[in-house]
Amino acid sequence: MTLPKTAPFSAAVAVALLALLTPRPALGAASEWSVNKQSQVRLITAWKVAPKNGELWMGLQFRLSPGWHVYWKNSGDAGFPPAVTFQPADVLGKPELLWPTPHRFDLPGGLVAFGYADGVIYPVRAQIGPAEEKQQKGTEGTAGTGETPGEILKITADLDYLVCQVDCVPFRYTLTLDQPWSDAPESDPETAPLLQAELDRLPRTTAEVAGVTTGAVLDAGRAEGPDLEIRVLGVHAEAGKTDLFLETNNAFDAGRPRMKIAANGVVFHVPMKAREANKPLPGRTPIAWTVSNLVAKDGRSFNLESQRDVEVWTKNGGPAGGAKPQPAATPGRLARLLLSALLGGALLNLTPPVLALLVAELFVLRGAGERGRVREGAAAATTGIVGSAWIVAGLALAAHRMGLPAGWGAQLQEPVVAALLAVAAAVLALNLWGVVEVPLAPVQGEGAASTSRHLLAGLFATPLALAWPVPLLQEPVGYALSRGPATVAAVFAVVGFGLALPYLLLAAVPVVPVPGSAERWVPRLREGLGFLAGAGAFWVLYALSHQVSAEGLAGIELTLLAMALLAWLRHREGSGRAFRAALAVGLLASAAGALWLADRNRLAPRPAVSAPTTVPRGTLSTSGG
Amino acid sequence: MRKTFLTLALLGLVTLSTAPAKAGSAVGDTAPHFKLTALDGKTYDLADLKGKTVVLEWANPNCPVSSRHTREKTMIELSKQYGEVVWLGVNSTNPQSGDYMKPADELAWNQKNGINYAVLADPTGATGHAYDAKTTPHMFIIDKNGKIAYNGAIDDDPPGRKAKAQRVNFVGKGIDAEKAGKSPDPASTRPYGCSVKY
Repeated sequence: MTLPKTAPFSAAVAVALLALLTPRPALGAASEWSVNKQSQVRLITAWKVAPKNGELWMGLQFRLSPGWHVYWKNSGDAGFPPAVTFQPADVLGKPELLWPTPHRFDLPGGLVAFGYADGVIYPVRAQIGPAEEKQQKGTEGTAGTGETPGEILKITADLDYLVCQVDCVPFRYTLTLDQPWSDAPESDPETAPLLQAELDRLPRTTAEVAGVTTGAVLDAGRAEGPDLEIRVLGVHAEAGKTDLFLETNNAFDAGRPRMKIAANGVVFHVPMKAREANKPLPGRTPIAWTVSNLVAKDGRSFNLESQRDVEVWTKNGGPAGGAKPQPAATPGRLARLLLSALLGGALLNLTPPVLALLVAELFVLRGAGERGRVREGAAAATTGIVGSAWIVAGLALAAHRMGLPAGWGAQLQEPVVAALLAVAAAVLALNLWGVVEVPLAPVQGEGAASTSRHLLAGLFATPLALAWPVPLLQEPVGYALSRGPATVAAVFAVVGFGLALPYLLLAAVPVVPVPGSAERWVPRLREGLGFLAGAGAFWVLYALSHQVSAEGLAGIELTLLAMALLAWLRHREGSGRAFRAALAVGLLASAAGALWLADRNRLAPRPAVSAPTTVPRGTLSTSGG
Repeated sequence: MRKTFLTLALLGLVTLSTAPAKAGSAVGDTAPHFKLTALDGKTYDLADLKGKTVVLEWANPNCPVSSRHTREKTMIELSKQYGEVVWLGVNSTNPQSGDYMKPADELAWNQKNGINYAVLADPTGATGHAYDAKTTPHMFIIDKNGKIAYNGAIDDDPPGRKAKAQRVNFVGKGIDAEKAGKSPDPASTRPYGCSVKY
């Protein structure tokens, strides 16, 4: 039996043991230490005089003998976390135990434990209700000490914990504390800083650290077994220091994470194992984790906790859903995905900036007159669209490989890309209004629109379409990214053909002459379409409002206005060559400024699920209330 | 071409659905085979136990969590209550570990403390690793078809704070379900206790 052997009877231990045998509650901010050979533990509060309302901060403070550890909320392969109940429950309610960032302990046989060595304080938050009668029950009216006359709240904590080295020893103690409390609280100069220091080290959420984003996906379709990928972006990680700790999950057991430091953050891959092989995998599963020892952009180090409802991908690339996992890529599924890619691509034509470009282009094409020219132009536009779709495919694939969020709609989550899309929509609007002569859709009468111009217009279409998160495209693109480059190329090509469908139709139907005096109303239509493109720019700015600060957004809007001003100046007054060149440079600088502002003013996105409880900084540093 | 593809896909589907479940420790997996010697020298071969419900309990008398259950007679009473079930303890403690007991000593300790079911010696840890046994105690129920039906903790009370009657005993519940021709629910929980001393 490895029950604790009697400790050497040093004076200190003897005194401590004596204290154990005759438990008498300590007055003020800390209970007596309960001592054993492996560990010491006491209950502390942050208060000399506790508040009678609001939050009451306590802590379970452990000191551990060398080599011994106590556990995190997920104890790892063995052990169990401490369990504690507090009295009087009618005053304290159900106090909540908070979990400092753990460490990893390797055990024989490849087992691993998560917990704390040397010492730790588990902060405990109790909510004291305002009800007066509540307060009466648990308290004794006493004279108290001379300085703090008032009532005493008798707090007891029934604690069970397991302390392990390789061997484990369970302990059970009742910790008691006589806590003076009144309406004029006063923090304790010894324990409050101890608790505050531990609270400051608690993991932060993404909402609390600017510029940090997280993402996770569980790929259960791999031959080597399910792999959980967790990305934390906007941070610096350090090999050998940064570590990932997963909380427990009902459906999967987690293996040892592998860490890869990327340019903009860190990517973890964790081998997972389904706990029940005879059940279908869930479509989504809640995964919560803590990443330790990260450095934020401002140079401060912190720990991060995050929780996500993670999509589980099965062999067929889609979410697992309730259904039995299908064998790899049935032809039916592939056909269905390609069809939704085609439809999604076609639908993109209805989005304002794309529609503006499309209508303008179609009129130019029609104006070409003879059938052969129309076909040639339509083919050029289609080539341009599919080509740019492939360029986008390459970028998406590269982003995916680098561990950046990729997928249809993900681009809007990156402020710089969103700003670029806003600039693109604005340039199109200016072009349609006739103040920027980008040779996209040349004005009627500039002679036969050359094939290369249609090609360019086509190339421009996909980037414009990128600003629209069409739901139909999310599944095919997500599937393609999970399969590899060939599928990505195929799916994006089909999206491109969908986008080019109007051009292909135009080439197929016989030419009907543009009715009426086209010279007069086609330019007006073009200018009108400019507003449609403008609407597109506003939509992207709206999307950006979730990604950048209000000041950043205002700045980006001003750069767009500056672009318009410079373009207009160039169009109106630009006679001198040098002047025109200078204005063009200014235009480009404004566009670059928009991107720069987007990057500088980025916000962390709102957390996807309700954030775990957070602790306000400086909660305990003040006294009085 | 299309026909070939379809045929191949169909063939794959058939193969997938008829292939035997792989051996492993997840619920639904075929229970990994073992042939181990018990402390009393008798040999137990899982293959001989087909058609019977088998409970495996990873145990270590030197682990306070294991020994608390011995003191509280958690497993002892359960194994008696379900006499039709083959209840086997497994000790995967490495002979190098301080927790290791020689078979004769462990047998004497077991007899003294009322453990009268067989405990298998797995000093190499091979069976422990095959089942991915992590803690003492770590419990498995193997159904009559040789599949893992339950993998996890003995009950819902790691620190042993509740009265015995108040605890949910997952293994007892699981055997009841098996007897009623149902699947245990829950079929997997997180085991707790000391780490297996591999």
